[in-house]
Amino acid sequence: MKWSLTHGFTMTLSVSSETRARPSWLAEQANLIGLAAIIILFWVLFTSLAPGFVSSFNLFALSRSLAVDIVIGFSTMVVLATGGMNLAIGSIGVCAVMASGFLMQTIGLPIPVALALALLLGAFLGWLNGFVIVRSGVNSFIITLASASLFLGGMLILSKAQTFNALPPEIAAFGRMRWWGFVSPLLFVAIGLGVALIILFRFTALGREILAAGANARAAELSGVPVGRAIIIAHTLSGALAASAGLMLVFRLGAAMPSIGQDWLLPSFLAPVLGGTLLAGGYVSVVGTMLGALLVTTIRSGLLVMQIGNFWLQLFLGLILLFAVMLDRYRSVYAERRSLGRKNAGRRA
Amino acid sequence: MTNNMTLGQRFLANEWSALAVAIAIGLVTLAVLSPAFLTEFNIYVMLRSFCVVLIVAFAQMLTLAVGQMNLSVGALGGLVAIAVGGMMEKWGFPVPVAVLCGLVIGAAGGLINGLLTVRTGINGFIITLATASAFTGINLGITESIPFYNLPASFVAFGTERFYALPYLLLPPVLIAIALAFFLARTVPGRQLLAVGGNPHAAELSGIPRDRVIVMAHTLSGLLAGAAAILAVAQLGSAQPSIGVDWLLMSFAAPIIGGAALTGGHISVAATALAVVLIVIIQNGMVLAKVDPYWVQFLLGALILAAVGLNRLRAVRAGGA
Repeated sequence: MKWSLTHGFTMTLSVSSETRARPSWLAEQANLIGLAAIIILFWVLFTSLAPGFVSSFNLFALSRSLAVDIVIGFSTMVVLATGGMNLAIGSIGVCAVMASGFLMQTIGLPIPVALALALLLGAFLGWLNGFVIVRSGVNSFIITLASASLFLGGMLILSKAQTFNALPPEIAAFGRMRWWGFVSPLLFVAIGLGVALIILFRFTALGREILAAGANARAAELSGVPVGRAIIIAHTLSGALAASAGLMLVFRLGAAMPSIGQDWLLPSFLAPVLGGTLLAGGYVSVVGTMLGALLVTTIRSGLLVMQIGNFWLQLFLGLILLFAVMLDRYRSVYAERRSLGRKNAGRRA
Repeated sequence: MTNNMTLGQRFLANEWSALAVAIAIGLVTLAVLSPAFLTEFNIYVMLRSFCVVLIVAFAQMLTLAVGQMNLSVGALGGLVAIAVGGMMEKWGFPVPVAVLCGLVIGAAGGLINGLLTVRTGINGFIITLATASAFTGINLGITESIPFYNLPASFVAFGTERFYALPYLLLPPVLIAIALAFFLARTVPGRQLLAVGGNPHAAELSGIPRDRVIVMAHTLSGLLAGAAAILAVAQLGSAQPSIGVDWLLMSFAAPIIGGAALTGGHISVAATALAVVLIVIIQNGMVLAKVDPYWVQFLLGALILAAVGLNRLRAVRAGGA
């Protein structure tokens, strides 16, 4: 009963007319190759227009923000896998950030302990989201919209919006560290998380369960998948990833700021959606999310180097997202036409 | 079943009963605790902040009615605000012309949202997330974050003048609320809107042009976002590019606290208005009690969760009875 209700909610909300079919292997590769081609195009464009784009300084800055964008994208991606949404990742991220600042600066805990506790806090807040969503059977959009406000408000009340800027010097030093002169080790942390997620979704029962819950909750429930548990775990994971992204920003800024996370909503959806992850759930592309994040970071960095500046950036990102989803839509319509016999193809949910 | 219920039970089963009780408790508590609460000026201040929030809530309510959402209310509002400000300050447009152009821009933005959603078949969430970014981008690109300050005196006066405790600013929202209630209850497009939200399949089978209704809901939503922005400009006395950045939570909070279902088809103008009253009272109480403003954020989240929980409880009870 509970599940049929939740399912009803997800249907109307996120499937309003998307095809739920998992893209074929070929279509998936085509999407990634297309994305990679667009990225290369932009790199060629920016390099020829502004040689400073490939300077080791800019590449280093790019690698640092890419790392954060990738992890923010992952954080949304794992929840999209279940067909849900998490609007609270910015708030969870900033809670973890401020907790880490408090633990390191005020309490004076060793860095690894503080970071681990901050990650735990993120996971706990994510778990809380998942728990309430599953128990109440209310749409994840509403729950996480409300919890985003709760978490952010709670953090601001506790921290009085004070920045922690006397963190141990090792933090900023790690953030400034460069490998081969132009790559931040943070990028490898992000890639490591990506590998872990690929393993999770490809090779573990848990990952398959999360995807099954997203593809068709009722069918999954009937075939013995603990759908509620899968959704709670996905949200917990999302919280932990949001916390990781926040902590990466602490390394980058060398301070724990209460303003972190407020502009995450758009990039968190951009990366997975550009990368082919379905909003309706049931399918994720980890590599696609990384490429999606790379495209966003490339454009942002390129516009900055060309001094077009932040003002028009928002417009470009919005148009690119629109363009990408429309392209994707027309591609799937085209694919449907070619396989006319497929039942339910194009039917609106 | 309805006939067997006592008056008290009927009151409890009503959507806005909990809201009315909460508002009454809030009013009495604040009136007792703070002598400043019931002064003419404070009531004026509260009514004034009520205006913009109410129309923002209506803007979201209309998309919720058809089972859609509009994440771009704030972004579109910001764009309309600076457009109206720019037209009056830089181009010297008369106030009515600028206001009209602003409303047209709002409706056009909503129309774009609706057409994109319907034509591409992509989830409205993603479409409006993208257009929100685009609208904000245009806003910032044009203004570079610099507000328009030199607005016509008559326009600014409209935002501040009052008749005892009643701000002139209250007039448009009240008219809009009445028009909206009439539209949803008594006109064909209004009924079609609710029908499509309630059950898209059934609506389509009974010959209602589903896509056209969704486009209409988005267009009206954009129009209202524009109206809210114009009022916000009058209220602030300047066209700030940052108008609208904090509308998103509020826009969902009020209709949902008022009992709107995200699945569509179920909205209430009166309950949404009451929810806005409650939000405004809470905000005002926080200010009077000199509490951290951050508590508003926290309480708003808690309020949404409480409302959702209450609605679920009521639905479960109704299902069981």
